[in-house]
Amino acid sequence: MANLLWLQGGACSGNTMSFLNAEEPSACDLVTDFGINVLWQPSLGLELGDNVKSILEKCISGEIQLDIFVFEGTVINAPDGTGEWNRFCGEPMKNWVKKLCDAAQYVVAIGDCATWGGIPATAPNPSDSEGLQFLKRAKGGALGENFVSKSGLPVINIPGCPAHPDWVTQILVAVASGRGGDLTLDEFQRPKTFFSSFTQTGCTRNMHFAYKVSTTAFGQRKGCLFYDLGCRGPMTHSPCNRILWNRQSSKTRAGMPCLGCTEPEFPFFDLAPGTVFKTQTVMGVPKDLPTGVDKKGYMKLTAAAKNASPAWAEEDIFVV
Amino acid sequence: MSAIQTLDISPVGRVEGDLDVRVDIENGVVTNAWTNAEMFRGFEVILKDKDPQAGLVVTPRACGICGASHLTCAAWALDTAWGTTVPRNAILARNLGQLVESLQSLPRHHYGLFMIDFTNQNYAGSQYFEEAVKRYSPFTGTSYEAGVTISGRPVEIYALLGGQWPHSSYMVPGGVMCSPTLTDVTRAVSILEHFRRNWIEPLWFGCSMERYEEIQSYDDFIAWLDERPEHANSDLGLYWRMAMDIGLDKYGRGHAKFVTWGYLPHEDKYQNPTIDGRNASVIMKSGVYDGAADTHTLMDQAFTREDVTHAWYDEVGGAHPFDRVTNPVGKNPIDPDGKYSWSTAVRHSESGRLEAGPLARQLVAGGSHGEAWQHTDPLILDMYRKMGGPSIALRHFARMHELCKLYREAERILREFKLNDEWYIKPTEKDGQGWGATEAIRGALCHWIDVQDGKIKNYQIIAPTTWNVGPRATDGERGPIEEALIGTPIQNPADPVEVGHVCRSYDSCLVCTVHAHDAKTGEELARFRTA
Repeated sequence: MANLLWLQGGACSGNTMSFLNAEEPSACDLVTDFGINVLWQPSLGLELGDNVKSILEKCISGEIQLDIFVFEGTVINAPDGTGEWNRFCGEPMKNWVKKLCDAAQYVVAIGDCATWGGIPATAPNPSDSEGLQFLKRAKGGALGENFVSKSGLPVINIPGCPAHPDWVTQILVAVASGRGGDLTLDEFQRPKTFFSSFTQTGCTRNMHFAYKVSTTAFGQRKGCLFYDLGCRGPMTHSPCNRILWNRQSSKTRAGMPCLGCTEPEFPFFDLAPGTVFKTQTVMGVPKDLPTGVDKKGYMKLTAAAKNASPAWAEEDIFVV
Repeated sequence: MSAIQTLDISPVGRVEGDLDVRVDIENGVVTNAWTNAEMFRGFEVILKDKDPQAGLVVTPRACGICGASHLTCAAWALDTAWGTTVPRNAILARNLGQLVESLQSLPRHHYGLFMIDFTNQNYAGSQYFEEAVKRYSPFTGTSYEAGVTISGRPVEIYALLGGQWPHSSYMVPGGVMCSPTLTDVTRAVSILEHFRRNWIEPLWFGCSMERYEEIQSYDDFIAWLDERPEHANSDLGLYWRMAMDIGLDKYGRGHAKFVTWGYLPHEDKYQNPTIDGRNASVIMKSGVYDGAADTHTLMDQAFTREDVTHAWYDEVGGAHPFDRVTNPVGKNPIDPDGKYSWSTAVRHSESGRLEAGPLARQLVAGGSHGEAWQHTDPLILDMYRKMGGPSIALRHFARMHELCKLYREAERILREFKLNDEWYIKPTEKDGQGWGATEAIRGALCHWIDVQDGKIKNYQIIAPTTWNVGPRATDGERGPIEEALIGTPIQNPADPVEVGHVCRSYDSCLVCTVHAHDAKTGEELARFRTA
């Protein structure tokens, strides 16, 4: 039996909602089949008011062993570093977070807000938000660069806006079943098992990418979204096209450009005028190139691709 | 003379976001109430000076539960500002996204958020308690597990259109990003059918949808309940019988005045969207229902006002959202006589404080106002009149009553798609003011946008919970949930589950609310941050 406590800071509940879409295992299976005891969860917890506060206090004192602390949402510091703009049980949430992280065996940050600040931390970051151990790319965050939980691991970051439910359930099961030590994390403390491959890995538009055939406007039945519509699939780490969303699809398969939401910079370019759903270019070359490809290589690659492109690639392919 | 006991409940929980409630209790009954929205992030500040389309990315993330509704509003707001043409398929695809999100929310809210209170020890004396514990205990209850798990299925249809739920941005000015194929439509039909065969009919109704749809009046409903044991023992039947047994029809009244923007633009009537043309184009009509006068009138965005007397903003007057410039206070101590919430008090300039939500929609659906072709339904208005007004029991019943209509409309859309026709017409970007509205499952939602010099000058959101959870207005009139808490019996002040019932019957979403009331100017905010 592993005790799990899940709280939300500057959050939209999107990760909770995503989590509830899980199957194999489902959220209920975690409790009934995998021995996870949910002490409290904002959308699901039975208790209210002082009875919630009592659970938190017992976790902090050690009266209840806190095996896994899950945090969703940003840590809000405004105003003036007090955190009073996000109060919970009569106290700034940031104070609860620090005390609970110190008490927990494992700390898991779910979603972009808890990992690196996400949308609320977009300039001008009005709520003075940050993630648990990062603010965008910068290490530190609410807990500091050197924080490790009782297990010896730093915060396990499961980013995404929202995180895919399977990423969450699989990590929770791993930790609860004593496999925490098997997890390897990348430089942003993301489990490598999910975040080594790219969003583009497995995308149904890969052939169009290879032949440099573009989807020039939404609603088309062919092409790759990278060249004109701002898709970040080639430079974003996620398994979105390996582990499909809602068991059915992915944004790029459905025709929506990847926004790069598993990377610390999301939302990219701070949503400045002219940057939304439009590939940013300099002299016709994308500003952000596929990971590891330089400008010279890209120009050679695309020139060759264009020359080799078969006639069918310009025809509709995702037809009725 | 009895003493007044003041109870601060932080958090109420299971209301999505951080809601705190203070109640005064006298002789075991709530005599006064204050609702505090306790979290502030600043989305509207973030949107200022950004790309005009930034709202399509940012606002679905205002709320992980109603993301499709925010996206719908953001897209229609830009459509009206830019004067786009939206193809028929795209209107249908937007509506379908909205519908399946709401279908998801019905079992998820019912089992995950609402019914687990029926297992509270407070009701150990009820004849239905044992059965409620068996079905509705968190995670392990038979219906809980089935209902929460199947709630993920309808949004698989959202993923077929937008790639994922929550948080897609597939609706864009001029249409949608996707161009579904026959496979997608067939899968969607099959998913709906699965939802019906595995939850709606066997667990929820204990009968066919067609049988339930015959119910037109309160008497019909009671007759249905008594008709067969399968009906009485269904999750709907048990809900109603136990709600009556534990007295949920006796409190949670509120102001008894209601608002809906209407929703689901008809695919042939809103291809050239304008703010003024919306009321006559939506399938589910807009309106204000005044329970005391028993009158229906149309709603218009021009009636909207926001009052900040008791909210943590330093302003005067109740401005229309297009005209509002908000200054948040820096320090936010709770002062029940002064400022005590991040939510503003939303008012109708003529009708005052209004309740938003499914009950509002269904009371409006009972009216004879609006266009002759628009949807009407007499059931909830009949129940309202016969039961003597609103209550927790009726409010939650109204929410679940929408199930069949949402389902039927989703089915119709899947038949109406013309897969080889266009899904998107590329618009010309320009400056201008726009407004987009819809009904999230929990009520009236809308966005106002002002685009100037190719960027967002002002973005405003009013969410359903803003209407419902707002603090007192200048005249001291309580917010809808504050008013609904009056008269609530509290059996055990150490576990005031009754307060939870009232708040959860509104399906409050504090997550959305706090977004709606962020600082509108970065300059003002900076002043407080450096203070």
